[in-house]
Amino acid sequence: MDSTVSLKSTRRQTLSKKLRKVPAYTILTLVTVLISIPFIYLIVTSLKLDIEYQSWPIRFFPATPQWGNYAEVFHPRHRIFRYAGNTLFLALAQTGLSILTSSMGGYAFARFRDVPGRNRLFSIVIALLILPAMVTIIPQFIVFSRVGITNTYWPWILWGVGGSAFTIFLFRQFFLSFPKELEDAAEVDGCNPFRIYWQIFLPNTKPALATAFIFGFSAVWGDWFTPVIYLSHRNTTLPVVIASAFVNPQGQALVTVTLAASVIYTLPLILIFFLGQQHILKGVVTSGLKG
Amino acid sequence: MSKAPFRLSRRQSRTAWFYVFVSPWLLGLVFLTIFPVAIGLLTSFTNYDGLNLPTVRWVGLRNYNRAFTVDQDALFSFRQTLRWTALNLPAWMTLSFILALILNQDVKGRGFFRTAYYLPSVMPAVALVWVWRIILDRNVGLLNAFISLFRPNTAIPWLTTYALPGLTMIAVWTGLGWGMVIFLAALQGIPDELVEAARIDGASNIRIFRHVTLPLMTPVIFFVLINGLVSSFQQYVLPQLLTAGAQISGVPPRSVYLSLTHVNLQFFAFQRFGYGTALLWLLFVAIVVITIAVFKTQRFWVYSEADEEGK
Repeated sequence: MDSTVSLKSTRRQTLSKKLRKVPAYTILTLVTVLISIPFIYLIVTSLKLDIEYQSWPIRFFPATPQWGNYAEVFHPRHRIFRYAGNTLFLALAQTGLSILTSSMGGYAFARFRDVPGRNRLFSIVIALLILPAMVTIIPQFIVFSRVGITNTYWPWILWGVGGSAFTIFLFRQFFLSFPKELEDAAEVDGCNPFRIYWQIFLPNTKPALATAFIFGFSAVWGDWFTPVIYLSHRNTTLPVVIASAFVNPQGQALVTVTLAASVIYTLPLILIFFLGQQHILKGVVTSGLKG
Repeated sequence: MSKAPFRLSRRQSRTAWFYVFVSPWLLGLVFLTIFPVAIGLLTSFTNYDGLNLPTVRWVGLRNYNRAFTVDQDALFSFRQTLRWTALNLPAWMTLSFILALILNQDVKGRGFFRTAYYLPSVMPAVALVWVWRIILDRNVGLLNAFISLFRPNTAIPWLTTYALPGLTMIAVWTGLGWGMVIFLAALQGIPDELVEAARIDGASNIRIFRHVTLPLMTPVIFFVLINGLVSSFQQYVLPQLLTAGAQISGVPPRSVYLSLTHVNLQFFAFQRFGYGTALLWLLFVAIVVITIAVFKTQRFWVYSEADEEGK
């Protein structure tokens, strides 16, 4: 694909051809600038004093960068480490469990094609892919609050165990492409199906594992709604705490400090994005997953 | 221990293993989806308030009636959702598509631009909303400051009266990457031979776009449209964070008082579980009906190879 493109371009690289691309580059650059401005403005404003941020006419850059805002985020009063720890625990627990059970499901749907009832169950997986999330979130809340597991981390564990239709689908697509001989040889050697899945199939699906991890982790890390409805302020997560402004001991809002906290809160996801970019973009294309 | 009194045939053993593998998901399906949805359906016919079981009464269709009679906000929020969808969806889809078209040309740095455009989608909702609070703020926001360069002392209330265009800006900014990645992948999947053949036949770029590229893109446009519709109708978190003080019991301004906002307020502000679930199912039915309606239009504009062979 790419090689034909570059061949074509060397063949026809005349000046007029280059000039014709000026509008394209102009638009691309303009859009890049428009897209970056909010990021840049977040960072520069996170380095201002609150009075600086609230003054008019505004000045884009801080008079002197207030690196203290970033130190203030970690002040014991804000208990940032505890909330970050809660968020990390929930994200890792739910994603880890979900990857385990969903990859088992994906393996079953891909490699046990002769089993009765398989097709009907798989059409349920497909139906769940399209089902709007709101249809289950609120009814689950009604049940969970009746069962008395609000204000615990059980909902996240249960969601993890139940797996996700997207992840099942993702793993199924991967497992479908494995050669039949791989399984047969292991079976002749006396491996039971669980060992075949665990020792032969799973270790060979690193791209699927990465994709499932990135999307699962980001979803829990970024989720504001479920911790708000399930957890009390003591054991809640980072997004809930950052959603409203941090306050100083006198109860005054610290807007620019909260902006610094948002930057810190976003960094892990940006890092994961750069590390796993090709998996993310491929995941988006193959399964229609949203970041 | 002696051996089991019977031996499973290979087929039986494979069936057993299959169900072992899918059992966690299957249990989740029963207890986390089917059971709660059934309870939710039952709840919609009661006066349940989330707390008191002894006073729960069967009220028949009263909750459903209420949505069309007493509670004017129900239909108002639905109309507002339609407005939001009509504003957001075309803007977002058109811009993503144009960007994908440009990136599909022979441009240098395609990877860089694709990454840059996708980056906003990575940002979690809460951080996103902080970014846009400081941009859309009426008094000290960056956007009004920029407009003030041309029209001094502009103070457009982007977070209240004009929250709908404000929200659209945010949604486009975050959604651009996702749409563009999908469209670009589809554009790159169009066989070069088709475009070359049309060019050899003397077709202009506009004609190639109109008669080759666009028809081949319609299945993907359809997919993105359905996806966008379903998520537009479920928009709740962004307006809640942006304009309702990030509280689940907070009420957003009328301009972004959307269907799911109204539904969730029933639960988390008024403890009306019965009525809330009834509204939830009505919204779900609306989404299904609109999705089916869009599916029905498919044969008029979505290209499929089967059709083409029949001609």
